[in-house]
Amino acid sequence: MTDARTFKYRTNLARKMSAPGGRTVADAVIKAEAGVERHRAAAMTSVHETLAALEAVAAVRGEGGQRVYDLAASMLDMAGYFDTGPLHGAMFSLCELSSRMIEADRWDWPPVEVHVRALRVILDDDCRDTEGSRAVLDGLAMLVRKAAR
Amino acid sequence: MSRTPRQSDRVNLEETTVLLIDDNPQSLDILSSIVQGFGVREQIRCMSGVAAKDIIKRRQIDLILVDCAMPDMDGYDFVRWLRRETGEPTSMIPVVMVTGHASQSQVAKSRDCGASFIVAKPLTPTVLLQRILWLASDERVFVQSANYVGPDRRVNNFGPPLNMPGRRHDDLSAHVGAAVEANMDQSDIDSFFKPKRVAL
Repeated sequence: MTDARTFKYRTNLARKMSAPGGRTVADAVIKAEAGVERHRAAAMTSVHETLAALEAVAAVRGEGGQRVYDLAASMLDMAGYFDTGPLHGAMFSLCELSSRMIEADRWDWPPVEVHVRALRVILDDDCRDTEGSRAVLDGLAMLVRKAAR
Repeated sequence: MSRTPRQSDRVNLEETTVLLIDDNPQSLDILSSIVQGFGVREQIRCMSGVAAKDIIKRRQIDLILVDCAMPDMDGYDFVRWLRRETGEPTSMIPVVMVTGHASQSQVAKSRDCGASFIVAKPLTPTVLLQRILWLASDERVFVQSANYVGPDRRVNNFGPPLNMPGRRHDDLSAHVGAAVEANMDQSDIDSFFKPKRVAL
């Protein structure tokens, strides 16, 4: 066994944040949320473009699994700053599915295509959380569980 | 870690320098807007772990927000380099990692890299500010060993702060508090250590 050194320390961040001044938590959150909101339109445009790229890849079943994972992860990254309801669940599900199939070296297009179509349906429905979208997510979760076996 | 911040609590990030690292310029813009809203006046933005290494060597940084997935040098490798290859106090800069999805192969890397916190998306300003406030009152010890360098990972044993949803009944408390019962007799304490014959 090797020796481990453990010690307490006070960071510059802690020291500077303990100084008087600044703004209230409520004010900081309101200002930050307003800042995020200014990016919503551009971010959602980017999400639409990435989904179109994903649809193109799935349509020809080309470029392999890593490309699907990268596109899905990119969508998740961008939309992850906003409340996109069921869209987030569907994107995460596709990331999980493609990641597991890549790890297992067992790629299967049909469940991927189902995910891509589900993303389109949810996005075209303005990411509304409905009984229908919840049923779609349940179905996607079943596909991921099956892929994990 | 401290309690959940109240809306009326004050947060002072005016004098801090924050380094933001993300290969996606749009995502970098959004992160930048968030920390600006928090009151950070000086933020340095860069789009790769390699570029961030260069900045770290030249500038004093108080807080780092880094995306996990980046080409060339991902966030995990960057934090690992920061913790192991730079001297104190640079190696102890608080780091919050932001991730959309962690693939199976990245789970172990995220556990071992030495980040202060890993925050999964969806990421709201409230969650990020809470993590920063936790960092300001972080009570974890810093660990330096052959296999791991970074804040003590056993923080989960303590669970969420007191009075916060999600606390389990057996979570430990970082605060011992005042005694609520009389001291035990020495004979009672001794009895815990004396071997006793038991019937099998």
